[in-house]
Amino acid sequence: MERKRNRIEIIYDILRVIQDKGGKIKKTHLMYKANLSHNQMKLYLNELYKKGLIENISSSSKYLIQITKKGRDFSEKYVQVREFERTFGL
Amino acid sequence: MKIVFTPDWFLGQDFLIEIFSFMILFLFFFFSIKSYKLSKNKKVLYLGIGFLLIAIGELSTILTKLVLYYDTTITQNIGQIVITYAVVKSVDIFYHLGFFLHKFFTLFGLYIIYRPPLKRISGDFVLTTYFIIISALLSQSFYYVYHITALIFLFLIINNYCKIYKKSKLANTKILLIALSLLAISQIIFILSKLSQLYVIAQNIQLISYITLLVLIMRISKNGKKKEQNRDNI
Repeated sequence: MERKRNRIEIIYDILRVIQDKGGKIKKTHLMYKANLSHNQMKLYLNELYKKGLIENISSSSKYLIQITKKGRDFSEKYVQVREFERTFGL
Repeated sequence: MKIVFTPDWFLGQDFLIEIFSFMILFLFFFFSIKSYKLSKNKKVLYLGIGFLLIAIGELSTILTKLVLYYDTTITQNIGQIVITYAVVKSVDIFYHLGFFLHKFFTLFGLYIIYRPPLKRISGDFVLTTYFIIISALLSQSFYYVYHITALIFLFLIINNYCKIYKKSKLANTKILLIALSLLAISQIIFILSKLSQLYVIAQNIQLISYITLLVLIMRISKNGKKKEQNRDNI
């Protein structure tokens, strides 16, 4: 059985999913691809909006979530940290 | 009794190697803290503390050697050869304290990296700290005691990372193992460093080891950027 993801891993997964979709994604797609329940997603998205890691945009009457520069930087920093911890087996 | 075994022609170069080592150790401390802030993983915090302690140890040597090699008021009076052979009685305490701190912090740092006190401070931890102090004190008279103790800690750390490498097969862990093995080899040669040529060889191997650690940290930074760029290009 796979272990439960912690908070920071979920945040990274959300940002990764958005980046994999070219930086923009629909809310419903994000929910499925990041493997989150509706309530979970609401909580995490609020946190990410507040921290400026993502933003809302509207294009041709669709509401999309877009990753910000700060979000990309966070994602990069997280990958480095994970790589560092894996190197030392932590 | 000699304080340092540096041959005259190598004076200053060993000092530069130690500054470089200090910078690399501090970089690892910085990376660990950055990592801890994000993941809140206590093991990473202790790893960082271990690197910081070894960095402080290096700093003690740097400051001591700075005075020993470059203090003009002393050097004018006694000259380089006399300094190397430590007839500097009036400032003996300063040098001994400086080199003691180097040994104590380095050994303590290695111990923390080997076995971080994650839950609470145990009897074993107190006992080992006591033996580290004894070892650092003894090294003032028998220099090789420090190198033997450092070598034991390094073997234990290498053994830990060998197990991790067998499981993960990560290239970065392999680089880490190479760097630590080089550091262990340098300690073996330091044990015989009464011969000045061997002292120089040991210092150079130590330099290569720290360069390897620099390569490792560069790879970790680069990999992070590369992975994210690849993602953006999908």
